[in-house]
Amino acid sequence: MPDFKDEIRKRLVGLNLSPTRENEIVEELSQHLDDQYEQALQSATTEEEARQAVLLELNENDLLAPALRRVERRISQNPVVVMGTKSKTNLLGDLWQDLRYGLRMLTRNPAFTIVAVIALALGIGANSAIFSVVNAVLLRPLPYKNPDALMTVWEDATHLGFPYNTPSPANFIDWREQNTVFEGMAAMAQRSFNLTGAGEPERFDGRKVSSNLFTILGVEPVLGRNFLPEEDKPGSRVVILSHGVWQRRFGGDTGIVGRALTLNGEAYTVVGVMPGAVDLPSMDNWHDQLWVPIAFTAEEAAGRGNHYLEVIARTKPGVTRQQAQAEMTTIAARLEKQYPAENTRIGIRVRPLHEQLVGDIKPALLVLLGAVAFVLLIACANVANLLLARAAGRQKEIALRLAVGASRSRLTRQFLTESVLLAGLGGLVGLLFSYLGLNILKTFIPPGISQEQAISIDGKVLIFTGLISLVTGLIFGLAPATQASNFGLSETLKEGGRDSSGGSRGNRLRGVLVIGEVAVSFLLLIGAGLLINSFLHLRKLDPGYRADHLLTMKVTLPETKYPDKERRAPFFRELIRRVQTLPGVESVAVASNLPLTYSGDSMPIGVEGRPDPPPDQSPDVILRVVSPGYFHTMGIPMVQGRDISEKDTADAVRVVVISEKAARYFWPGQDPIGKRLKPGSTTSESPWREVIGIVKDVRQNDFVAEPKMQMYMAHEQVGSFAANAVVVRTQVDPLSLGTGVRKVVWEIDKDQPVSDIRSMEEIVSRAVARQRFSMMLFGIFATLALVLASVGIYGVMSYSMAQRTREIGIRMALGAQRKDVLKMAVGQGLKLVLIGVGIGLAAAFVLTRVMASLLFGVSATDPVTFITISIILTGVAVLASYIPAVRAARVDPMVALRYQ
Amino acid sequence: MASAMLDRELKKGSAELLILSLVEDRPRHGYDIAQLIELRSHGTLHFNVASLYPLLYRLEKRGWIRGRWVEKAGQRRRRYYRLTPAGKKTLAAQRDGWREFVEAISRITGIQHA
Repeated sequence: MPDFKDEIRKRLVGLNLSPTRENEIVEELSQHLDDQYEQALQSATTEEEARQAVLLELNENDLLAPALRRVERRISQNPVVVMGTKSKTNLLGDLWQDLRYGLRMLTRNPAFTIVAVIALALGIGANSAIFSVVNAVLLRPLPYKNPDALMTVWEDATHLGFPYNTPSPANFIDWREQNTVFEGMAAMAQRSFNLTGAGEPERFDGRKVSSNLFTILGVEPVLGRNFLPEEDKPGSRVVILSHGVWQRRFGGDTGIVGRALTLNGEAYTVVGVMPGAVDLPSMDNWHDQLWVPIAFTAEEAAGRGNHYLEVIARTKPGVTRQQAQAEMTTIAARLEKQYPAENTRIGIRVRPLHEQLVGDIKPALLVLLGAVAFVLLIACANVANLLLARAAGRQKEIALRLAVGASRSRLTRQFLTESVLLAGLGGLVGLLFSYLGLNILKTFIPPGISQEQAISIDGKVLIFTGLISLVTGLIFGLAPATQASNFGLSETLKEGGRDSSGGSRGNRLRGVLVIGEVAVSFLLLIGAGLLINSFLHLRKLDPGYRADHLLTMKVTLPETKYPDKERRAPFFRELIRRVQTLPGVESVAVASNLPLTYSGDSMPIGVEGRPDPPPDQSPDVILRVVSPGYFHTMGIPMVQGRDISEKDTADAVRVVVISEKAARYFWPGQDPIGKRLKPGSTTSESPWREVIGIVKDVRQNDFVAEPKMQMYMAHEQVGSFAANAVVVRTQVDPLSLGTGVRKVVWEIDKDQPVSDIRSMEEIVSRAVARQRFSMMLFGIFATLALVLASVGIYGVMSYSMAQRTREIGIRMALGAQRKDVLKMAVGQGLKLVLIGVGIGLAAAFVLTRVMASLLFGVSATDPVTFITISIILTGVAVLASYIPAVRAARVDPMVALRYQ
Repeated sequence: MASAMLDRELKKGSAELLILSLVEDRPRHGYDIAQLIELRSHGTLHFNVASLYPLLYRLEKRGWIRGRWVEKAGQRRRRYYRLTPAGKKTLAAQRDGWREFVEAISRITGIQHA
C-alpha cells in the first residue's frame, strides 16, 4: 500500500503546527486515505490508478492547507509558552497529554508499576521517616524566645577528663557578676522531691533554679507567676509545677496556685504552672516536674570545690558565641590566679543550648540520613533498570514516534513525565510507610533526646518528601529517557522492528547501574557491619558486676526527716533486714549511686605520708557510699582484703575499699591494705580512712569509656552523700519483687516514696540505647539495600539472559555444555559485582571515617568487617545471577534458535 | 446528478448540519462520516479529505463535537467524534432554521414534497 503520510505532511509545511498536532492530523488523514485506497482498488484497474484517485481527494482545489490554516491558526500562533522559554511548542498542553499518556502506560503494566512504586516507596518512606526525626531534633528551634541566644556555660576541666564540667556555686556567682556579655545567667541543680500528705507518696524529678531562669528562657507560666528575685533566698518555700504534674497529679486544678504541698517534709506554696515544653539538658532521662528557687546559703555560695551546677545564660543582643567565649576565658584566667587551689587549669566553655541538647545524637542522625539517601539511590537504580528494560521493549513505539516527527526532546520529556509520575506515586505510598515506620521508630528512640515528642510528619516533612520524590523521578528517569531518545532510528528500523536488544549501549548502562548498586549497598553493609561489631564489643565489655537478677530502686530519704547519718542508718538497717527475709531475695544492699545512673561524686584524695600534688595534677576518684554486702550483692569481685562489714559503724575505725585502678595508681608495686587516705587532700578536715580491701574496676558513669578510679566508704561512717539506691540480688525475675520491696519501705515509713524501680539489665541496656538505635536502623537500611540490590542484579541478569537466548542456543547446538553456559552467565554477573565491590571498597575506606565517632572497639577500616561483607555481598550477588543463568542453561537449543 | 455549483453551495450552508446530525446518535470517525454522507445522499453529496477534516476541526474547536483516539484490538487507532451538549443545542437550532429555509424555498418555487 502506498504511504500517503509524506504527501499529507508536504501539504502541511508552512502551517507552523506543533509536532504533536501535526502528527495527529497526518495520522487521521492518512487513515482516511488508506481506507479510500482500499475502496478505490476495487474499481480501479491498476494500483497506480487507485493511488491517483485518492491523491485527487487530497488535492481538490488545493483546499487542505488554507482551510487548515484558518482552523488551526489559534494554536500555532499563540503557543503556550512556559515562563522563561521561547519554545513555540505547547508545553502545558504537552504536559497534560504526557501525564495522561504516562498514567495509561502505568495502568497497562500493573506488575511493573507495583514493583517500581514499592521500591521507591521503601526508599522515599525511609528518607521521610529519618528526616522527620532530624527535623524535630536538629532543625526545629527550641520552644524558647529567641533560642539562638541561649548558651550553656561549663567549667572546662579537660585535663581531668571533664571538658564540660558542672561549675561550683562560688565560680558561678563570680561569672555572673564579672561578665558583660550575658543579659542574664541562671544556675540549676537536679534535686528529687518527695511529695507526701496527699494520696500515695511520690518522688519527683525536679531542679533548684535561679529565680531568673524562666525569664532567661523566655517562658511565661500558664498559671500564676514566675519566681521573684527575693524568693531566691534560703528559707523561701515556693514551687512552680510542670504542666505534666499539674495535669496528672492535680487534675489540672486551676485553683492550684496558692495551695500548700508537702515536699521533702516541708510546706511549699505553689506560685505557678509552666507550659508543656520546658526542655532542659539532662542526663539519664531526668524529666523536671517541679522547680524551687536555688537559694544558696552563705556557705554554699562560698563553695568553690563542690561542682554540681548547670548554667544557662542568654547573650546580649549582637554578642556572638565567640565573643562570649572570649570574655569568659578572660574571667577564667582571672579566677585561676585568684583561687589557684580550686581553679588551676580550670577554663570556661560556652556552648549553645541547642548544641548541648542535640550534640550527642547529631552525628548518628546525620550518618543515618546519609544511609537512607543511599538506600533511595539503590531504589532509583533499580527502577531505572526496570525502565531501561521497558524502554528497550518500547523501541518500536519510540522509532515510530520519531519517524512520524516527534522531536527527541519531546520524547525525553514524555519519559521524564512518566518517571516523575512513578516517583510521585512512590512518594505517596512512601509517606504512608514513613507514617507507620515512625510509630515503630519512636518506641526505640533512645531516652533523653531533645524534642522527642515533636517527631511527626509536618509540613516540612511533606515538602521534603515531595522534593525528593521529584528529584528521584528525575534521577532514575534521566537514564532511560536519554537512552530512549538517543538510540539510532535507522538501526532499529533495519532490525525490522524486532524487540531484540536495547543495543550494546543499553546493556552497558544497565551494567553501570548494577555496579553502582553493588558499590552503594557495599558501603551500607560495611557501615552496618561496623556498627554491629561495635555493639557486640560493647555488650562483651565487662561492666565489673553481674547485671542479671538485680533489682534496683531509688529511696531518697528527705533531709528534713532524716537530716544526718544517725537517723538514716536505722532506716536502712531495718530495710535491709526486712527485705532479706522476702522470698526470692538472695541479698540486699544500699548505695549512694548505682553504676550508669550518671550521678555521684568524685574528688581528689590525699595519701598519708605523701605531699599533695599540685591541684591540676591530682586526679579525681569516684566516691560511692555503700552498705555492707554491696559488693556481694552487685557481684563485684573482691581482689584483695575484706568487704565492708556490719562492724564498720560510725564509732569504728574509718575504712575505705578502693578499685584496682586506684590501687595501681596510688600504690604501684605496693600492698595498699592498711594504708590511709582522706578525700580532698592531706590537709582536709575529713578523718583518715584505712584501706581494707581492693575490688575490680566498675564502669560507673560511662559504659563506653575506660573505668575511672573508685573508692567505696561505709555508709554509716559518712555524713554527707546519703545512700539512696537500693539494690537486691534475686533468685527470681528481679522486677517481680518490686512491689514487695516497696511495701517493706512503706511499712517502715508510710510517707517514703520509692521510684525508678528497674532491673540492672535495663539500666545497662539504656546506657547503650543510642548505639543500639544507630545499629538497628543502619542494619535495617543495609538489609533493605542488600535486598534491593539483589533484586536489581537478578533483574538485569534475567533480562540479559533472555536477550542472549538465541546466542546460548547456538552455543549449545555447537556443543557447549550446560556448565559452560552457567560459567559464562555467572561470570558476567560476577564481573559486574566485583567491579562494584571494588568501587565500594575504595569508597568505604574514605566514607566510613565519618562514622568513627559512632564506633567502639573497631576501627573505621576494620579488615574483618570489610572482608566478611565483601564475601557476603559477592555471594548474594552471585546467587542472584546464578538463578537466571540456570534457567538460561536449561533452554532447549531448538527452542532457543527459533526464539523471536 | 446535481451540478458542481449546487454541491458547493449546499455544502457551504449545510455541511455543519450534516456532520452534527451524523454524530448525533453515536461517535463516528472521519471516513465513516464521509461514507455516510455519500451513501445517504445517494452519491449526490461528496466530501473529500481536504474539506471534511478542516470542517471537523473547526466544529471541534467551537466545542460542538469532540474527537478522541480510540484503539481497538487488531486495528489502527482512529479518531472518533461525538456530539457535545453544546453541539446538541446548535444542532437543534440549525435543524429548525434549515426546515424554515427549505419550506420557504418550497413555497416560493412551488416544489412539492413527494
